[in-house]
Amino acid sequence: MKSQQAGLFIVSIFLLALPLWVKSDVVLTILVFSWLQGMLAVSFNLIFGFTGQLSMFHAAAFGVAAYATHLFMQHLGVGYWTAVVLAALLVSVLSIIVGTICFRFRLKEFYFAVVTLAFSEMARLTVLNWNDVTNGSLGINLQEKPWLLGFKVDGTVPWYYLSLFALAATLLVCWRVVHSWMGRCFSAIRLNDELGDTLGINVFRYKLAAFVAGNVIAAIAGSLYAFYLGSLEPGFLSIDQSLGIVAMVLLGGRSSVFAPVAGALLLTALPHLIHFSAEVRSIVYGSILILTILVLPQGIYGSIAALLRKRHAA
Amino acid sequence: MGQLLLGQLLNGAILGTLYGIIALGVTLTFGITGIVNFALGVFMMLGAYAAWYFTDVAGLPYPLAVPCAVAVTALAGLIADQGLFRFTRNNLVNGLLVSIGMIAVLEASALLIWTSTPKELHRVLPGVFVIFGFVLPKMKLLVFGLLLAVIIATYMALTRTWIGRAAYAYAQNPEAAQLMGVRTSRLQTGVVVYSTALAGLGGALYASLYSLEPTLGSLFVLKAVEAAILAGIGSVIGSLFGGIILGVTEGVGSIYLPLAFRDAYGLVFLVAILLFKPAGLFAGRR
Repeated sequence: MKSQQAGLFIVSIFLLALPLWVKSDVVLTILVFSWLQGMLAVSFNLIFGFTGQLSMFHAAAFGVAAYATHLFMQHLGVGYWTAVVLAALLVSVLSIIVGTICFRFRLKEFYFAVVTLAFSEMARLTVLNWNDVTNGSLGINLQEKPWLLGFKVDGTVPWYYLSLFALAATLLVCWRVVHSWMGRCFSAIRLNDELGDTLGINVFRYKLAAFVAGNVIAAIAGSLYAFYLGSLEPGFLSIDQSLGIVAMVLLGGRSSVFAPVAGALLLTALPHLIHFSAEVRSIVYGSILILTILVLPQGIYGSIAALLRKRHAA
Repeated sequence: MGQLLLGQLLNGAILGTLYGIIALGVTLTFGITGIVNFALGVFMMLGAYAAWYFTDVAGLPYPLAVPCAVAVTALAGLIADQGLFRFTRNNLVNGLLVSIGMIAVLEASALLIWTSTPKELHRVLPGVFVIFGFVLPKMKLLVFGLLLAVIIATYMALTRTWIGRAAYAYAQNPEAAQLMGVRTSRLQTGVVVYSTALAGLGGALYASLYSLEPTLGSLFVLKAVEAAILAGIGSVIGSLFGGIILGVTEGVGSIYLPLAFRDAYGLVFLVAILLFKPAGLFAGRR
């Protein structure tokens, strides 16, 4: 445990000090995107990896919150952070509705995935076609930048720290949840929810808790992402976005809180580091996905852990 | 109004058989290998482009190009099965992701090869029928008839022959089927390849009606999965009706409700079915 804490300490110092000598805007930009995608992957893993529910609603939570933040700011005249909280509240209400429908009717596995996908698509179609409010497929340009502690968060370095902090907070929350009694209930549901039910675990309540918690974190990630990017588009809510999140989690490894960040880093950074056309990038992405499933079914983390265990035993 | 309604009904039914043929592939693949093959959409796209290639570039007559296109798609399906899907049997999430990876690779390759400019096939069978004042192209009716025939033939084959019994036996109890002499791995490969061939046929026929783009399959496969679930996964004849119900719902729905939400009606319907009749409309029926 001591060595793990030391490792965590070194990694955090390294990441905090990174902008001091890495001056390349491209690298830092990729890292900001990776941290925000990492938030999505980690929060999705709470629902998928720990509770065993393949949710396809993550992109919707992400996108709806991104739009809602902007709309609350514009129409209610509130500041950015208030709007983020309101957007997160909106997403939690939506998640409670969708989650209650799915879990009350005991939808599982593939059927759960399909129904959440259906709700996600309805959200996307609404955003795409509600032209007066969302400007349809053209999207919206966001000029405003958030203020934090009297500083305007503008430019790559402040965003680097903001996104890193948000990711660290996400990891901390997920870590605490997974390693609590709640996390053990999640595991019980993942392994056998009927058995969990007979043991007195309120399966419905914990499934809903995981679903809502994951979606709220995704909502915060969405609000940050949109304002860093400076634009909103219906593509935020697309199926590809949801599947990209699944891919990151599987590539990183679904059995650990931290591992999905590795997947997010790899899948976000790799296509940008090599200069390819969009098509070739898509081919590389698809190949990574297929190879991960066939060669590293446990993800990077699981494979390394298995290797270390073997080394240890020998 | 009556004419418009009738027109949308017929159009919806015709589009519905296209959903149905892909849905049949989805149902068969899921029943025998336990995965949902979203890549059937790209196999449909492959079939469509192959049909276009054989008629417009190689100069074959269209009736000959369709079997060629189906053969090409089936071959691609065999390669995909032996190279990829063989390793994901009965693992839903892995199968899903492998098929998503295949979609990314194949769609991007199609974009590189054929670009996003729509391809247009020469008119195969011009002319129209006029029924009750409603104009219906002959080719649409022909496609409708062909797809209907293929789905019914598949249904017959699965309910009346030894192979069909083997497939149902396998779906019920894999070990018992194996002990009774069913060559299970061959059966699985056969079903996966047959499903891709069906998707290829759907694509080749689609090519005669609409213009082609590399992304044409992704919408169809979603609709097909919807149709298969609507009908109840595992029901062969249900996939036909599921497709038609979906097509008609969209067609008729877009008369009375805003057109922009056309794709949502099916989803609402699907959610309602899953909540109140979770096994599907044709549950327990072959």
